[in-house]
Amino acid sequence: MVAGTGVISAIGNSLPETLHAFQQKKSGIGAITQLETLHKNVLPVGEVKLSTEQLAKITKQPTITRTALLGIHAAREAIASAGISSLKKWRTGLISATTVGGMDRTEDFFQPFLQNPSQGRLRDVVHHACGSTTELIAEAIGVNGFLSTINTACSSSVNSIMLASRLIRQGLLDVVVAGGTDALTKFTLNGFNSLMILDKEPCRPFDATRNGLNLGEGAGFLVLVSETVAAREKIEAICHVSGFANTNDAYHQTASSPEGRGSFAAMQQSLEVSGLSTDDIDYINLHGTGTVNNDQSEGTAINRLFSDKKPKLSSTKSFTGHTLGACGGIEAVFSVMAIRHGCVFPNLRFQQPMPELGIVPQVEFESGLKIRNVMSNSFGFGGNCSSIIFSQIQR
Amino acid sequence: MITHYCIIRDQNIVLDGKVIFSEKNSDLDAFLLNAYASLKVDYPKFYKMDNLSKLGFLAAEMLLKDRSLLNDYAPEQVALVLSNAHSSTDTDRRYTLSSRTAPSPALFVYTLPNIVAGEICIRHKIKGENAFFVAPAFDPALMADYTDMVMAGDTGASIGGWVDVLGGHYDVFLYLHEKNKAGLAEHTTGQLKELYNTTLWNS
Repeated sequence: MVAGTGVISAIGNSLPETLHAFQQKKSGIGAITQLETLHKNVLPVGEVKLSTEQLAKITKQPTITRTALLGIHAAREAIASAGISSLKKWRTGLISATTVGGMDRTEDFFQPFLQNPSQGRLRDVVHHACGSTTELIAEAIGVNGFLSTINTACSSSVNSIMLASRLIRQGLLDVVVAGGTDALTKFTLNGFNSLMILDKEPCRPFDATRNGLNLGEGAGFLVLVSETVAAREKIEAICHVSGFANTNDAYHQTASSPEGRGSFAAMQQSLEVSGLSTDDIDYINLHGTGTVNNDQSEGTAINRLFSDKKPKLSSTKSFTGHTLGACGGIEAVFSVMAIRHGCVFPNLRFQQPMPELGIVPQVEFESGLKIRNVMSNSFGFGGNCSSIIFSQIQR
Repeated sequence: MITHYCIIRDQNIVLDGKVIFSEKNSDLDAFLLNAYASLKVDYPKFYKMDNLSKLGFLAAEMLLKDRSLLNDYAPEQVALVLSNAHSSTDTDRRYTLSSRTAPSPALFVYTLPNIVAGEICIRHKIKGENAFFVAPAFDPALMADYTDMVMAGDTGASIGGWVDVLGGHYDVFLYLHEKNKAGLAEHTTGQLKELYNTTLWNS
C-alpha cells in the first residue's frame, strides 16, 4: 500500500507546489541556471530551482552531492506524509534508483585534476558511486535495514518501486521507502547531446513535430507499507501497487524497437499481474520523452494494446523534463496524486497528433474525475521497459 | 561440458583447435570485415558494431555454427558471462577523438563493455542471466565459479570467456558450456586455463 509520497522537481519542491504547477499549467523547463556547461544558453532543461547550497541548508546536510540532497528532500517528504510513528519499529528498507550518483561532484573534481594530476579535491569523488547516494539518503532518514540501489537507466525507479512491492508482498519487509533521484550533470547532458536527441526548444511529447527531449532533475519517493503496518499505524492508504512488469526490447543500445515490443509486453504483463483489463485503466502517465523514437514506439504499443478505447494519457515530462533515473519515482508520485485528487495532468505544447498513430493526449488539467487505476510507463536504454499500475483502495 | 570453444588471435579464427579462418598482413579492421564476409551470413548490423562487438559476434557465430540454441533451450535458459581487461576503452578513445569535432552517436552507443553482450544476445535470442567482468587478465577460476553458480538453476547452457581489444591488440577466447551434453572438456578452472593458454600465443 502507498502510505506516503514525496517529490522535488523543476515544477516544485513539494507536493502542494507540484499540484499547483499542474493546475496552472506552469512548465519547469527553461534556460540552465545552476549547471556550469557550454550548453548554458542553448539547451533548455528542467532544473530544480534551488542551488546545491540552498538544498544543503534546507535538508540540514553538508553540501554532499546534489543527487543525494534531492533524494533526502523527497524521501523526507514521503515519510512525513506517511504518518508512521517510527520507522525503527518496523523492518524498513530503502530502495533508491539513480543513474548519475555523485557524478555532479566528480565533475567538479575532474577539471583541476585534468590540468594537474596533483590537483582536485578527493573529497569530491568519495560519493561518486550510485550506492553511496542511497547510503547518504538512508543515513539522513534513519533507515539501516535493507538498502539497495538500482540503475537500469530511465526505468530505474519504477524498478525500485517494483522490487519494494515484491519484498512487501513476500513478507520480507514491512515498510520500504522506494523511488529514485538524479541531478543534472555535464556527463548526461553531453551524452544525450551526442545522441542528438535533445531538443533546443521545450519538448513536445507525442506531437507530430516533436524533436527530442529536455533533461530534467529531481527525486520522487513512495513509502510502501504492508497491510499489517497500515492497520497498526492507522494509515488510510488511498492506493496500492496492483501490477508491474519489467521486460526487455532486445533491439538496440539506446533506441526502442519501432513496434514497441518491449513496452507492449511491459504494459500487458503489468495488467495481467493486476488482474485488470485495459478498460479499467483511467489514466496513463506516459514515458513520453518527446524523442521521435520513444513516442512512436510507445504510441504504437498503446494503440496495439488499447486499440480505440484509450484512457486519458499525458506525458508530464513536458513539465519536468526527463529526469532519467528519477522519472519513474517522480511519475509514481504524480500517479498517486491523480488518484488522490481525481485529476489528470496536461501534456504541454501538444498541437497535432503523430499522423501514423493519431493519439491525442490530455491537454488540460482536469479534476473531479474518478481515477481508479493509473498506469505509469518508464522505458530505459538497453531496452529496459517497465510498467506499473496504481489502484485505488475501495472502502 | 565445454562443447565448443573459439579463439581469435594473431589474425586467426580457431574453432575447437582447428583454424577456420586466417588472413595475414591485414590490419584488425580489414581482418574483421573479411572474417565476417567468409561467414556468408546476412547481418548488416555487423558493419555498425565497434571492434569489441565484432570480435564477440564472430566468436559467437563460430560457436553456434549450423545450430540454434533455441532448439535445445528456452531463451531464458542460456546465460552469457564475459570478461576482459580493457572494458570499452578502444571505443572510448575513438569517441573522445570524434567528440573534438562532432560527437558521433554511432560511436557513443558502444562506449560500454557490455554492449557486446547485448549484440550477442540480440543475434542469438538469448535472454538468460548475463554478466561482464573487467579483470587484469583472463581469470579461469572466476569464470568457472561464477558460471557454475549461474548454472545451478534452470540454466542449461552458457557462453563464456574473454573478449578484449585495445588498438591493434586483441584476444578472444569464447566457449559454449552445456550442462547436460558431452563435449570436449569439463568446465573446470584447470580445463579453462589449458584451453585458453594452448592456442596461438605467438602474437
